[in-house]
Amino acid sequence: MARVLVQLKLRLVLNALRSSNAAETSFILSTFFALVVAVGGFYVLAQFRGLSASVDLTTVIFTMFALGWLVVPIFAFGLDGTLDPATLALYPLRTRPLAIGLLAASATGAWPAANLLGLLGVTVGLAAGGLGVLVALIAVPLQVLFCITLARLVTTSLATLLRSRRGKDLAAFLFIPIFALIELLGQVIPNAATSGGITAASFAGVDAWMRWLPPGLAAHAIQDASTGHPATALARLAALAAVIIVLGWLWVRSLGRALVTADASTGSSHLRGAALPLARYGLPGTVAARTWIYQRREPTSLIYWAMTAVIMGVVSASTILGSHQHPAVVIGSAVVGAGFFCYFHANSIGLAGPPFLIEALALTSRRSLRAYFAGQNVALGAIAAPLLTAICWGLAAGVRNLAQGVPATAVALAGLGAALALANILTVTFAYPMATRAGSPMRQAAQGYGSYTFGGILATQAGVAVAVTPVILVAAFTGTAPDAVRAPALIIGSAAYGLALAWAGVRIAARQAQERLPELCQIAVHSTI
Amino acid sequence: MSETAIEVRGLRKSFGDKEAVAGVDLDIAAGSLAGLVGPNGAGKTTSLSIMTGLLRPDAGRIVINGLDVWADPVAVKAVIGVVTAEARLFERLSGREMLEYAGRLRGLPVAEARSRAAQLLDVLDLAADARRLVADYSTGMRKKAALGCALIHNPAVLFLDEPLEGVDPVSADVIRRLLTRLAGSGSTVLFSSHVMELVEQVCDHVSIIDKGKIVVSGTTEAVRGGKTLQRAFIDLVGPRASDEEVLSWLGSSSS
Repeated sequence: MARVLVQLKLRLVLNALRSSNAAETSFILSTFFALVVAVGGFYVLAQFRGLSASVDLTTVIFTMFALGWLVVPIFAFGLDGTLDPATLALYPLRTRPLAIGLLAASATGAWPAANLLGLLGVTVGLAAGGLGVLVALIAVPLQVLFCITLARLVTTSLATLLRSRRGKDLAAFLFIPIFALIELLGQVIPNAATSGGITAASFAGVDAWMRWLPPGLAAHAIQDASTGHPATALARLAALAAVIIVLGWLWVRSLGRALVTADASTGSSHLRGAALPLARYGLPGTVAARTWIYQRREPTSLIYWAMTAVIMGVVSASTILGSHQHPAVVIGSAVVGAGFFCYFHANSIGLAGPPFLIEALALTSRRSLRAYFAGQNVALGAIAAPLLTAICWGLAAGVRNLAQGVPATAVALAGLGAALALANILTVTFAYPMATRAGSPMRQAAQGYGSYTFGGILATQAGVAVAVTPVILVAAFTGTAPDAVRAPALIIGSAAYGLALAWAGVRIAARQAQERLPELCQIAVHSTI
Repeated sequence: MSETAIEVRGLRKSFGDKEAVAGVDLDIAAGSLAGLVGPNGAGKTTSLSIMTGLLRPDAGRIVINGLDVWADPVAVKAVIGVVTAEARLFERLSGREMLEYAGRLRGLPVAEARSRAAQLLDVLDLAADARRLVADYSTGMRKKAALGCALIHNPAVLFLDEPLEGVDPVSADVIRRLLTRLAGSGSTVLFSSHVMELVEQVCDHVSIIDKGKIVVSGTTEAVRGGKTLQRAFIDLVGPRASDEEVLSWLGSSSS
């Protein structure tokens, strides 16, 4: 059974590789990143040699790997056919050999190998002496086995939920902390480390409680063996093995249940007050109502708002953390935030997908199309204006220079108007189909349209930056004016400027949309939701 | 019944080298309940998409209730309703919100849109699920909700692409009765379907399309020619190649 399932896993990977150029590219990139993790992990762990906090740092790294194994399979549930017990439920398979087979399938592939090789960096960084290295060679495979068993238990226990709409929503929301973590690790921490804000000593003692978690047991077993405490080391390894056995037992039980449990994915609860709000305000109100509801109920929309907030924070992070002193960076956050807001809404028809046909059948006159774009803008603006303003003032407080809140807010409001205008125009003129891919909660450009994503980011960032340049210049040249006059004049003037841009964008987009409606319908039809 | 509600002349559409619609001519009388049948890939969906103004043709003319679809799309879209094959709706709206949204898009006053939405949900047996998200609807429920969206403005001509695919018998009966009632009131219904029994039972007009062309069109009786519609259809579009001899092992209890 193990052999069959390992072959199945390899066959699935190979078939995905052959299915399209995009899949091939994705596979090559994934393998490359696995290699980076293997080499990088080994290097980082090896660098801990001789540090006083080496065991603490190793525990943190081990725990992060375990968290990765916990989260990513939930995120990529649809990507690995062997993760879902429903795909095997139709075959006459006994639970125990099936479990061993699934475990073997999980351990097959570039990422498990990368984990194993990367974590073996402890043989250099933490282990000392023959016994230390020997224990490391046992502890690392146990740590990887713990990660795989934990991942299997979680995905199998949640399989019914993850197949449902709510489960997919839940998995989608995991994208927010993962994105924040990526930004933290890729931008904030390196900047802080470069400027001396974070050092190895900062991690001393952080494993006071982590040492009792399974990854901590593995790391401390190596430490104990290396410092002449073989009995403690063995006790820790035994405890880790016991945890793996318990998790495995729970997983086999869960698998047995999952194979005979009906799929309840269609179960759902009723909404309160499910009448369409704002519908009494004509066509703009009706479209605004639908857009407003989607901002609350559609995970992708919520993710976009969260990503905008995270990106704005990251831009100002270096100054907030004190490693650099550039209070005006808050204005940069406002520009980039408005730019990404624009990018996220610059293909609204592709994002809406086939349901757009229902709207297209009713929206044919230029006037109705103006109402359509205006309605969308009202709903998006009602969320974006206070959100961007609040973030600007929060960041101004973070950089300890509240005065920056005024120009940043002015830039954000003008940028918002520019973003809405540009998003409306791009939605019509550079619309492209979107696709939902297994394993990703985010919709991406359909195959062959990848360049639209890159081009979209560049165009929206550049477009918004150009549009807000007059506001930045006015803010710079009026810096010495009394705040009581400057602040309201700047903010109200910028808001009016933004409104004018948005109004112009609606008119241009409506005129273009009237000409291109059938083509836009086909783009919507070719999108998957 | 004698007035023509749907008039199609010389309709053509190609996608690259493939000619999906190769000169469709069709006349459907007002008040008809007409079926458009054909094998997979025959051009049914493409033809319906062009007729409803959702896909631009390479050539041809479509007139609905005296209005040219591509010359005056605003006027045409005001009098038609469309249910697409996949019945894709806004997943994050409730059924009630979805129908109300469709009504408001069509310019109905709020009270009227709400009232019609409630009545349609009731007739379509969706009242109990009116406050559930469309995302949680089954295929049959989606089809019924999509039909409600298409009917809410009382269209003079209704187009449906495979309206009964994936629909349970009870829901199918509800849809069938609604379509019959709509046609009986003077509206025109044109739908594509693979279900020959349905087309034979409810349609007074049938058109068979194959390889992008209408091979026969007329009253159901005339098209059947004394046979079942299924038989007439197979005779017209030709039997498909059979692999039965290869499957000699099938049906034996031994492996």
